[in-house]
Amino acid sequence: MSKHTLQQISHIHRKGFVTAITATALLAVSGAAQAAGDPPDIEFRTQYGDMSFPESFPDGTELRITQWSHFVPRYDEWFEEYAQDWGDAHNVDVTVNFINLADLSSTLSASISAGEGATLFEMVAPPTAFIDGLQSLDDVNEAAQAEFGEQAGTCARSSYLPAKDQWYGFCHGWVPDPGDYRRSLWDDAGYPEGPETYQDLLEGGAQIYEDTGIPVGVGMSPEIDSEFYARALIWSHGGSIQDENGNVTFDSEEVLEAVKFQQQLYNNAMTPEVFAWNAASNNQTFIGGRASYIQNSISFYRSAQESAPEIAADTGFRPGLEGPRGDRMMPSHVWFIYTMPDYVEDEDTIQAAKKFMLDLEGNYANASYYSKFYNFPAFPSTAPQLLGEDSWLDNDPWGAEPADKLSLLKTAEDWTAWLGYPGYANPAISEVYQSELLSSMMADVARGVKTPEEAVSDTAEEIEQIFAKWRERGYVGEGN
Amino acid sequence: MSAQVSEPVRARAPATFGERLAGALERPRVLGSLMLAPAVLYVVFFVGVPFIIAIALSMSDATAGNPSIDTFVGLDNFRAVMQQETFWTALRNSVIITTLTVVSIVVLATIAVEILSREFRGKRLVQVLFMMPWAMPVALSAITWLWLLDSQFSPIDWVLVQIGILGPDGLFGPQRHMYWLGREWLGILSVVFVDTWRTLPLATIIVLAGRLSIPRERLEQAQIDGAGFFRTLFRVILPALAPVLIVAILFTALLVIGEISSVDLLTRGGPGHSTQILPLWAYLKGIESGDLGQGAAIALFLFPVLLAAAIVALRFASRLHKD
Repeated sequence: MSKHTLQQISHIHRKGFVTAITATALLAVSGAAQAAGDPPDIEFRTQYGDMSFPESFPDGTELRITQWSHFVPRYDEWFEEYAQDWGDAHNVDVTVNFINLADLSSTLSASISAGEGATLFEMVAPPTAFIDGLQSLDDVNEAAQAEFGEQAGTCARSSYLPAKDQWYGFCHGWVPDPGDYRRSLWDDAGYPEGPETYQDLLEGGAQIYEDTGIPVGVGMSPEIDSEFYARALIWSHGGSIQDENGNVTFDSEEVLEAVKFQQQLYNNAMTPEVFAWNAASNNQTFIGGRASYIQNSISFYRSAQESAPEIAADTGFRPGLEGPRGDRMMPSHVWFIYTMPDYVEDEDTIQAAKKFMLDLEGNYANASYYSKFYNFPAFPSTAPQLLGEDSWLDNDPWGAEPADKLSLLKTAEDWTAWLGYPGYANPAISEVYQSELLSSMMADVARGVKTPEEAVSDTAEEIEQIFAKWRERGYVGEGN
Repeated sequence: MSAQVSEPVRARAPATFGERLAGALERPRVLGSLMLAPAVLYVVFFVGVPFIIAIALSMSDATAGNPSIDTFVGLDNFRAVMQQETFWTALRNSVIITTLTVVSIVVLATIAVEILSREFRGKRLVQVLFMMPWAMPVALSAITWLWLLDSQFSPIDWVLVQIGILGPDGLFGPQRHMYWLGREWLGILSVVFVDTWRTLPLATIIVLAGRLSIPRERLEQAQIDGAGFFRTLFRVILPALAPVLIVAILFTALLVIGEISSVDLLTRGGPGHSTQILPLWAYLKGIESGDLGQGAAIALFLFPVLLAAAIVALRFASRLHKD
């Protein structure tokens, strides 16, 4: 792999102060990149909306970033180089600490308790319970909206808490979570385009299981993919945990219907393996050829392109599945939410961190490109190459076959929801998610431990208690 | 008249600091206190202070974002966690997993000690292999077991199919997989097995030290008196080992009941919450969900029981030792 070299070519004046840097050599390391699909030059501006920044920060300014080790390793390579280049261009000493996804919350919690640690933490789910220890990023979000236009709903509702009227994070990107199916299996079962509805999933999945022994691979285990699947199923049946105002709506006919569906699906098209899964299991099972349908982001597909090309070639994608009343909602798989703890007090450091966040958003076409289109921009205007006409998704430079296999992701925002859907994320919603209540409820019913009615009723009661606790503390209120 | 001439009394030179220190160290109380001080300080700062903070947290509404202990809520957090179905499941599992692990370890450590206290060819190699599970990082050993017990790709299942226990014509067929971690009791037993495998070396080393301290004459006397292996074991060896066994049980129980990695890596508390345990539930509530108060309440729940058990066990061991 050739060494990245950065050429700082010129200062381009835009809105007064704009520094532009080209990163042409970044392409040299991409290998698979094609000339027509090159990511744009990297630009570092000095003005975003009403926020102005210096071109260079005083000597000694440091920026320490803690974030997760990305599921697409290529992104981390790119990000580390980008961060160093950003630091060199701004006279800031930047260090990036990549940690395991599972350690993010505990690391942020420990840092807030200790009153020291990283300047920025990139969280992968809304860190609403940490809001009292986080700085308001109202100005960054306002500047980004002024500069880049409308923000994706899944990001806006995962970084702002109405009850506190505070942007506790800056969500720079998100990840679609499509349905993924084996084309040959579903074609043989009479579904050449894969399952389009949950009823298709049940009937076609059962037939494939009967014919080939290959089950449907949607998890019912305490892990994130199972939690996301449970939400997609419930939302697509018209149910939800809360309404737009933060009132609990879980104990409903729609949720009960979804749970009964899952019981049927398990009894007809699945095996007990799904109770033991971790976050990597459905990927591994699909790549191993042992699942007809899973719900997951495209990181598994990128892995399959390298380790199991025949499975990758046989993979099709669905924009979620329709429920009985035509609803179709899938969750984001990950949110990229930068937060800055209160203990960061040095004004130069704060300004540098805010500029870093905005610069990253401004260069998001590169972030999307080097994540192999795992990352979607919070502000679609920042990556027209990804979402526009004749885009990267229509002609995948990372080797998808056919080249437009991923093009349905261009519509992902239309069918993507967020943890608090239809309301905002809040600490109660986060606790329901982190306590893995929904996947456990599904598992209890599928295992025959509870009837669907009992499971929904018990879970609703627990959700009510969680909401009551956080509401009393002032984190869930009017408008959420 | 005789003049009494006496040597002028020489003023005794003041003792140097070194001499005074040496004198003080001669006194057993001073020396003993000094030797104990590091351990006491360690316990105070790294056990006592965090423990007091945990109690304070459990009676506050502290969150991960605002960990200050400034609002006293009494026992509200304890009442709230006791309303959670999962809490009771976690409590049950913590007790079951700890009990089964300790029982397994007592039996297996006793057997292992009897083997390792004898001379045989390859003993050193066996000792090294025996210590391996304890030397391995918990995460690494749990991941190894995660693969061995995998739902789809378990080598154990493959062997069971090959020997005719699983599979179309198998004893427990036609399924080809046990789904070790996907069924409640198989999941619990898998955790017990891995915990036993991992902590057995420690317990064995503790018990082996006690076994080697039994006077050889006592064992020879039993042989001369005509006692067989089991009579010697139950009438001579085990009574002599009792104090050490109790220490081993206590160590193992405390290690296992506070252990989070095995369950977190193997089952994550599933299926459903059926293999959930208290430390993991405390972590999910306290750190991941941000409710430090409830997390602390869950973590502290077993403390009174464990404290009572530890006091009883140590007193019993002490009495046996005196006898």
